[in-house]
Amino acid sequence: MNDLTSKQPLSRSTHGAGSMMDNEKLIAESPDLRTTAKIKRETITAVGVFGLTILLIFLSRFVSPALGGWDQVNTVLVLACFLIVVSFGQGIVILIGGLDLSIPALITLSGVLTASWIGVSGDGSWYLFPLIMVICGGIGAVSGIGIVVLNIPPFIMTMATGIIVASSALGFTGGSPRGGASPLLLGLMKGNVMGIPWIILFILFFCVVGVLIQSRTTFGRRLMAIGSNLNAAVLAGIPTGNYIISAYITSAMSAGFAGFMLVGYANGATLRMGDGYLLSSIAAVVVGGSSILGGRGSFVSTIGGTLLLTTLGLVISALGVPQGWKTVIEGCTILFALLLLREDLISFFSRPKSRK
Amino acid sequence: MAQAPASAEPSAPENGLLRRLFSSGTGVIALIYVVLYVLFALWDHSALTSGTVVNLANNAAPLAIAAAGETMVVLARGFDLSVAGVISLTNVIMAAYPMEGPDGAAISLLICLAVGGMVGLVNGYLVSVLKLQSIAATLATMIICQGLALVILDAPGGTVSDFVADQLTDVVIGVVPVAGLIILVIVAVWLVFQRTAMGIALYTVGSDEVSAQLSGISVSSTRFIGFVSAGMLYGLAGFMLSAQTATGNPNGGASFLMLTFAAVALGGTSLSGGRGSVVGSILGAGTLMLLQKVLFAGGVSSFYTGIFQGTVLVIAVVFGGLITRLSERRGAR
Repeated sequence: MNDLTSKQPLSRSTHGAGSMMDNEKLIAESPDLRTTAKIKRETITAVGVFGLTILLIFLSRFVSPALGGWDQVNTVLVLACFLIVVSFGQGIVILIGGLDLSIPALITLSGVLTASWIGVSGDGSWYLFPLIMVICGGIGAVSGIGIVVLNIPPFIMTMATGIIVASSALGFTGGSPRGGASPLLLGLMKGNVMGIPWIILFILFFCVVGVLIQSRTTFGRRLMAIGSNLNAAVLAGIPTGNYIISAYITSAMSAGFAGFMLVGYANGATLRMGDGYLLSSIAAVVVGGSSILGGRGSFVSTIGGTLLLTTLGLVISALGVPQGWKTVIEGCTILFALLLLREDLISFFSRPKSRK
Repeated sequence: MAQAPASAEPSAPENGLLRRLFSSGTGVIALIYVVLYVLFALWDHSALTSGTVVNLANNAAPLAIAAAGETMVVLARGFDLSVAGVISLTNVIMAAYPMEGPDGAAISLLICLAVGGMVGLVNGYLVSVLKLQSIAATLATMIICQGLALVILDAPGGTVSDFVADQLTDVVIGVVPVAGLIILVIVAVWLVFQRTAMGIALYTVGSDEVSAQLSGISVSSTRFIGFVSAGMLYGLAGFMLSAQTATGNPNGGASFLMLTFAAVALGGTSLSGGRGSVVGSILGAGTLMLLQKVLFAGGVSSFYTGIFQGTVLVIAVVFGGLITRLSERRGAR
């Protein structure tokens, strides 16, 4: 990653007769700079996405003087926290070459159960929160088992569980969800500690843990191996089935947790509370430079993607643009990010400069 | 899996057509449809009257046409999420700018087809020329179309012209629903298209891109044509939806996203490309809509329709895969 500008000593003696011996000697002596000169693809996308987000926050000062300060960073983090949690799960599933379409249904289910079982009183929180997580995890396991054992494509399996879960949530509430948020959830989403909102501390902690899980643990490395080449992963002795199922469990539990957070934020549940998170989670992962075919991507860039999309949404709202144009601009941003992240552009930046 | 048609055909002298139907999944879905209809007829005695049939055809037509379009993309190993955006957009155009009379309807239809075709052109360019991943690229175009729909009509409302709303949901020659006739035309066009060089190229690109390229098929132009024809079919689906609902809804297409893919998968089309047919997808769409009627007739609360839709989807895919594997094994012997 360093030594970008250093020239190989080769160029000094390419002219003149009798330099053959010199050349060979020099080649033998010259250090191999090829690996050090290459910038990792993940680094480029992460820097790009975060850079764009910061630029956007600075530029937003021109839109409205109220924007562009720490307050706005605060708002962005609070608004992005749901998407960060959901995109962690979606990112892990996309990493293994799958796709989780059941996320909105799981967010809704978790939200509806939280609001009605735990409710405003918060009685029984100590066993009901874990129980709801287990239910969500169990649904994720069903998706995973269907994909691994029954060999159903992920797209279809998670769509089927999504439809079933959404329909069950509808039936459970009879069409009108009741209840509200317990003090614990309200505290997490609205409370402060030493002037810093709890939720921001929590989301920073979540991001660090998420990044470590995805890039530093065996679990994360093996998921990446499965995504880049399933057959090779099988031959390498990875119990691929278990890992794939746990990826879907992780995604389902992330969605379930986002459900808790949304109930705390909105002090209640609705049957459509998860709807916006399917496409935006895929968008965040894709804008973060992950390949939708799996095997490539990092949670750092995905976090960048969620922040970029959230900031953009805020800035456009501040411009007072009608909802329709706002949506059009969001779509164009995704397209723009995709075009910037194209293979040939990335390889232009990451190719070893010293051998040009 | 992609070799199913190739290995099933040579060994099919006895009951070739039947086995080919089943190994492509079209037979499975046709069987499911018939069984469901029998159940429907047992529970609801009006099931066999022409009114019910017309109603079913009208309800299923937009989804069936959208699923037919999606199949064109899925067969060439792609995904097209723009279906939801195009349906919303065309529906809103129909409601915001109604044009009376048969001429008006024809112009509206042309506009819908043009809008869909244009979105298809953009998708095709992004995917086959710029080499973007199809899910990601069409996600972006879908969001843009949804936004444009909101720009044209920011809340549900507007009225579709009476001619379109009345004539297209009516019957011709006393019994045949217009919507059913349109679907039959699409099936007929598909059956011809399937056998043209273009149709075969679509399957080949879907099952093995490299060998398609090596055998002289232009992969990018095949995908391009797939996306454009899919877009035009979504436009037609939006047109038919407008005829059915007679009003505009900027989010009207959103519910089509999942259902379209469900219909395609139910119809036995492999989501990894190269296997399946438009006919299967149309039957898949019909089954999803019929299921709602059957459950209603059976007294199941409409809340729980999704549980059955999801279960049927899983069963159909598992069953379809099983039959493919069986026929492959027999074909190999």
